[in-house]
Amino acid sequence: MANTWGYGAMTNHFGDVVENSKAIFMIGANSAVANPIGMKHFLQAKDRNNAKLIVIDPVYTKSAAKADHYLRIRTGTDVAFIYGLLHIIFKNGWEDEKFIESRVYGMEDIKAEAKKWTPEVTADVTGIPAEQIIQVATILAKTKPTTVVWALGITQHSTGTSNTRILPILQLVLGNMGKKGGGCNIIRGHDNVQGSTDMCCLADSLPGYYGLSDGSWKHFAQGWGVDYEWLKKRFYAKKWMNEKGFSLAKWWQGVLQEEKTYSSSPIRALWVQGTGITSMSQQVEIQKALNKLDLLVIAEPFVNEAAVLSDREDNIYILPVATQFENEGSVTATNRTSQWRTKVVDPLYESKTDHDVMFEFAKKFGFYDEFTRGMKMGIKDGEIKQVKNDFNFAEDASDEIARIVKTIGLGGWTAKRLKAHQENWHMFDPLTLKGRGAMKGEYYGLPWPSWDDKHPGSPILYDVDTPVNEGGMGFRNRFGLEHDGVSQLAEDSVTVKGSSIKGGYPEITSANIEKVLGIKLTDDEKQKIGKNWKTDYSGIIQEKCRIAGVAPYGNAKARVKVWTFPDPVPIHREPIHSPRTDLVKKHPTYGDQTNNFRVDVRFSSEQNAQDWAKDFPTMLVTMRVVNLSGAGMLERTSKYLSHITPEMFANIHPDLALNYGIRDGEDMWLHSPQGTKIKVKAHYNFSVTPDRISLPYNFAGVMQGVDLSHKYPEGTKPYATGESSNTITNYGFDIITQIPEFNAGLCRIEKA
Amino acid sequence: MSKNSLADLSLKMGRRTFLKLATIGASFGATSAFASSDSVRAATQEEIKNPFPGSKRVKTICSICSAGCGIVAEVHNGVWVRQDVAQDHPISEGSHCCKGIDQIDLVKSKQRIKHPMKKENGKWLRISWDQAIKEISEKMLKIRKENGPDASMFLGSAKFSLQEAFYFRKFAALWGTNNIDHVARI
Amino acid sequence: MSSEMSRMKFYCDDDRCIECYGCSVACSEAHELPVGISRRKVITLNDGIEGKEISTSIACMHCTDAPCEQVCPVDCFYIREDGIVLHDKEVCIGCGYCLYACPFGAPQFPRDGAFGTKGAMDKCTMCAGGPLETNSVHERELYGQNRIAEGKVPLCAAVCATNALLVGDAEEVSKVYRKRVVSRGKGA
Repeated sequence: MANTWGYGAMTNHFGDVVENSKAIFMIGANSAVANPIGMKHFLQAKDRNNAKLIVIDPVYTKSAAKADHYLRIRTGTDVAFIYGLLHIIFKNGWEDEKFIESRVYGMEDIKAEAKKWTPEVTADVTGIPAEQIIQVATILAKTKPTTVVWALGITQHSTGTSNTRILPILQLVLGNMGKKGGGCNIIRGHDNVQGSTDMCCLADSLPGYYGLSDGSWKHFAQGWGVDYEWLKKRFYAKKWMNEKGFSLAKWWQGVLQEEKTYSSSPIRALWVQGTGITSMSQQVEIQKALNKLDLLVIAEPFVNEAAVLSDREDNIYILPVATQFENEGSVTATNRTSQWRTKVVDPLYESKTDHDVMFEFAKKFGFYDEFTRGMKMGIKDGEIKQVKNDFNFAEDASDEIARIVKTIGLGGWTAKRLKAHQENWHMFDPLTLKGRGAMKGEYYGLPWPSWDDKHPGSPILYDVDTPVNEGGMGFRNRFGLEHDGVSQLAEDSVTVKGSSIKGGYPEITSANIEKVLGIKLTDDEKQKIGKNWKTDYSGIIQEKCRIAGVAPYGNAKARVKVWTFPDPVPIHREPIHSPRTDLVKKHPTYGDQTNNFRVDVRFSSEQNAQDWAKDFPTMLVTMRVVNLSGAGMLERTSKYLSHITPEMFANIHPDLALNYGIRDGEDMWLHSPQGTKIKVKAHYNFSVTPDRISLPYNFAGVMQGVDLSHKYPEGTKPYATGESSNTITNYGFDIITQIPEFNAGLCRIEKA
Repeated sequence: MSKNSLADLSLKMGRRTFLKLATIGASFGATSAFASSDSVRAATQEEIKNPFPGSKRVKTICSICSAGCGIVAEVHNGVWVRQDVAQDHPISEGSHCCKGIDQIDLVKSKQRIKHPMKKENGKWLRISWDQAIKEISEKMLKIRKENGPDASMFLGSAKFSLQEAFYFRKFAALWGTNNIDHVARI
Repeated sequence: MSSEMSRMKFYCDDDRCIECYGCSVACSEAHELPVGISRRKVITLNDGIEGKEISTSIACMHCTDAPCEQVCPVDCFYIREDGIVLHDKEVCIGCGYCLYACPFGAPQFPRDGAFGTKGAMDKCTMCAGGPLETNSVHERELYGQNRIAEGKVPLCAAVCATNALLVGDAEEVSKVYRKRVVSRGKGA
């Protein structure tokens, strides 16, 4: 998504859907279960606007039960399905030509690919009847605006990156971007997954999606108030400062070293602070890696199953961490709104807050002063410098973030403003997020980008009909000024309302600011201004942009062709473990990959290793249950929530179950292609067809039939335990992000 | 007791008129036959309005999903006694799913980790923070000395606050590695 | 007494209910019910069958002519003027006769815990407590919170994730629902 138009985040918000959407196209998301409050808004849109709810899912979900149109798709065929829709849209001339012409680059290649996907071909690949594909394409073309909603059902695939590109492409073709009631509403999972991602607790970037280049590191060193040379020496060698680290998906290979890895050292110590270990695929490999480590540190409010999976007898430490309600700070909701979470009670028992844990160890590790100095910094006379000698954690850290993170426009997120919004939440309109009274002119929680401390936040991304200073903007100029001789800037017809510049413009740098904005900088300004809008601590670029009504990141075209990717335009590739062996030849996966996140990943060699569908004939779909989230670590410790699903199960169609002589409620074994297995209860259910089963991914505490109850420290075992579905999720990782393939796999069923 | 006659209740009762009801409910409670109780007294106005007199209502945000629902926590003498709905919150308007309304139980859960622990010879032992910090940091530094900073892997959280997420990334950077990730990857 | 008497009613809009269990857990948590006591239940019919699946939330419906009250051998039920059907746990003998009479399976009979001290029946109070002193510890222990006395909406409906569960005066509830149905373009 970020590779299409600049940012990878939900573009609109829930209230907007209620007020403006005429159709809701939900694919790979089950909001009724994963995000019930989001679902409320979709149902309100149905009731108030007569909005059509279209749900595309391999399973008849609780969201599907509320849909006007339900399409049962085969797992891992989303790209094919969208091309099937595009085929019909292009064929009938239903695309928004004006929008494409003026704001999109590379559409011809999409048109060419879409030509191949006739309704009949699409129906064969996706399993969705051709009439339904035609019907939905027609609804999308005739019903504007449509909002597209997705979640992990789209991203968690070996083709996840292509999936997240094809949906924005659909919206660009329909001209639904930057529009009220349109957009791509990606629904994030955890409470602050958007915030933690924005802050890039990630192996491939620094907070705000700054890359790992020297320029980024220097920007951060400056903002943190640490010497760049010192920081460089902290790494094994400078090279490793610029290299992506191991990812959550395959870190275990860094420990096991069964395959070639590309790091300065194997992994010997694992520090887990708030990651449910059982929410990762390849649990058996993870178990082996946990056993091999020299040190495992776990810091959590509840026992992380990492402590329980492992057979190790020593060198595991568990530190008690306070819950969010015994702590303070802001959280970023799925719509980029930041909300201040006020502390309710002091940390209970001997627990410490997450940041206190970090502080304690920073002291021992010898970098406490450098670690905390950023909170003592400030901007004085256009320059960043240390301005005080003490700090107050959440507030000063917020202001530090606001100073440093320019890319996604967090300049406006000062602690003072965020707190004021939370204290006055009653002053904001739920449909528009607009403030009233004292909060007039601002949007609730200052949805980013909120470029500076005067900016009201941007409730709808890429809306050129709204002035920049009221939350409008064009697409981001992120991919250069031209490609193959074609300008990447928006056409002259796309002028952001109220902007002093007609049509498109590049991102603002110290080199082009005078020319682009048509201004003259004073000598003092010239001396203080940073290199570009992303690294300018002086605030000069931002200020000049505000005066000109210009978004500092430019006004460019979205691109549907990513020339640096293995697939410049998304193409359908069969899942690595495909139930359709006949289609694998025609739509093969990628070639094997060398060194991504310091490990190799098998693609074609795995896909062709054997006729998987023959030995593993049933599709494996993972799902959420409403009472549990993530690894279920939190909710399974609640007696009321556990009571709703006290044990692990799989939904199975009676016709399939009876083929194996399995009765409702009986145990069955599920075997995976990589030779692992889990034992679960069969729940007869009609939400799945006889070619697939679905199982929740929120359980842990049982491993391949072995109950691990005795391994929990006394008094910490959750009320509900069970096999983790991730013990049998199939091998497979996205070629760009390395997100594991959770959603398109195969399994073999056996009566237990 | 059955079918007590109450004051005339001719008002239509929508949500707004619950307040009216409250008064009636209260007077009923305070004046009805308490034959079994020998310490009968009328409820004070404060008690009728709030069973935890002097408690404060803290506005905060649910910790489960990214919808960002508002929560009102009633805190009495430093203890979170009740979870109430935030009817005026612009995203949730009072709504919660089962996980959201049960946040109070998350904090109060019996299964919380109450003190630092380590496993030794297959047994979990209670240890002090001082001991935990000392032992872990010595081991971490030893590994760093032997194999360099990339010998450690840091897994952060999508449940950190924004500020803590920023600081965890900084923590790994200052340790000297890019081996840091969190569940956004999945 | 006016014939315009309002009657407090629940109504669950099954076009909205998504089986999220918010109401049921809210109830259990607010009144600190023992596990296994479901004053409010969420039920799905035709689970997974395309076009036929329906979810709804059920508790005591606070019947106008409550069958439980009519069959109770010890007359422990009483109906408030606002229509809320309550009972006196200290009079209840736990015979279970009300359960036979109730069309909704609302009465619950605990086997252990604070609610089971006398084996007395437990059911939805519409968050209106019981016959004991309002907001007393004793009332809270036996009947749970008395939110009505505090001027608050019953918790289950207040938290309903999708505003499926409505509560209030019967006429008001019906107005809200009618408005929804009309704009949906179906029904009346």
